[in-house]
Amino acid sequence: MRIDPGSHLPIYLQIVDGVRRDVAADVHRAGEALPSVRALAIDLGVNPNTVQRAYEELEREGLIGARRGLGMFVRADAARAAGVQARTVAEAAFENAARAALASGVKPSRLRKLFVSVLNQPSKGVRTP
Amino acid sequence: MNRASHPVVELRGLSKSFGDTRAVRELNLSIPAGMVYGLIGPNGAGKSTTIKVIMGGLRATSGSVRVAGLDPIADAGKVKPIVGYVPEVHHICRWMRAGEAVRFCRGLYPTWNDSLCDSLLDQFGIERSKKVRHLSKGTLVKLALTLALSHEPELLVMDEPTSGLDPMIREELMDGVLRNMCDGRRTVLFSSHTLSDVQRLADRIGIIGSGELLVDLPVDELLRSTKLVRAVLCDGRLPAACPSGTIFERVDRREWSLTIRDYSPDRLEELRSANPVEHVEVCDLTLEEIFKAYVRGRRATA
Repeated sequence: MRIDPGSHLPIYLQIVDGVRRDVAADVHRAGEALPSVRALAIDLGVNPNTVQRAYEELEREGLIGARRGLGMFVRADAARAAGVQARTVAEAAFENAARAALASGVKPSRLRKLFVSVLNQPSKGVRTP
Repeated sequence: MNRASHPVVELRGLSKSFGDTRAVRELNLSIPAGMVYGLIGPNGAGKSTTIKVIMGGLRATSGSVRVAGLDPIADAGKVKPIVGYVPEVHHICRWMRAGEAVRFCRGLYPTWNDSLCDSLLDQFGIERSKKVRHLSKGTLVKLALTLALSHEPELLVMDEPTSGLDPMIREELMDGVLRNMCDGRRTVLFSSHTLSDVQRLADRIGIIGSGELLVDLPVDELLRSTKLVRAVLCDGRLPAACPSGTIFERVDRREWSLTIRDYSPDRLEELRSANPVEHVEVCDLTLEEIFKAYVRGRRATA
């Protein structure tokens, strides 16, 4: 996870987004423990209260849950939901980008070529379901 | 006395003048236990003066100053032991060796924690045998931080601790402060020009301009509630009236941009109804953009 301390987006929301993305991308799997507040705060170089707030937000959303004395865990049902949600968001973003490209005059043949070239670069993090 | 009932730092109507110059005017500030407060402002805005008054190094011209409910000058004997201070200009004796400076400070504080001090010296890679005057700027700041933290103060005050340091040393210093923050419920007040550091560390931000506290808000709330409105003016027309909460405004050809505090859609209605505008767009702002808008806005009205 990376955060941008110069962003207009509050850091706690960047952490919320980061954890959501990491769960969707299988970095954190259902039932696995998340880093402690202290560890993540030091790792990201941010105030521990900010991490605490992000975890509270994620707990409220139901993506993670606390186990007494053991810290925060990714919830099984939530992990699947996060994956579905992330894919929906990614598909919408892709659609928007394609529409914008067409609207600005990029030829369909060129767009098709671009799309195929992206699919042929598995090293860039493209996952097949 | 029960300290828990007091804010750790409390300023009420604080003013400080130097001759005819009013460096700080009617400043109110309250920092509860456990909060990290970041003070930002342009050079000469009154940040250092405010910090020196809190540290008891300067006497307020008027208003009251309390640290843990005590007067930092009259009760200096009780305040000094519970405060750690990293000043803008370091006052560690230059002829001492680092280890001697440590022993000197150790004698001043009954709560000195030797193992904490040793671990900080090791973490920062400070050689005890080196003369203070031979230390690099970065190492000197790290030594100052070690000395300020080793008696485990309730309140840590830092006046521009990272100014003039390279990014690696800055990171190391911030990491040291952060680890310390994580391990105890420490209250921190610091000033800085590095806004990304302030955004990372502070719970709450104060913006000082021309000696006045212009903003005193949680970081997230400041980012959420301050917006940039960009309006396109109708041909040949000029803005008539700024909506309430405008901090700074500027017209460039047909674009009228306004930075607005406590933004809500009502403000947009206010703007549309009173001005000849065609198109209006609302944008989020970074801390740096918000800071500049406040400072420029303050200069424009001053």
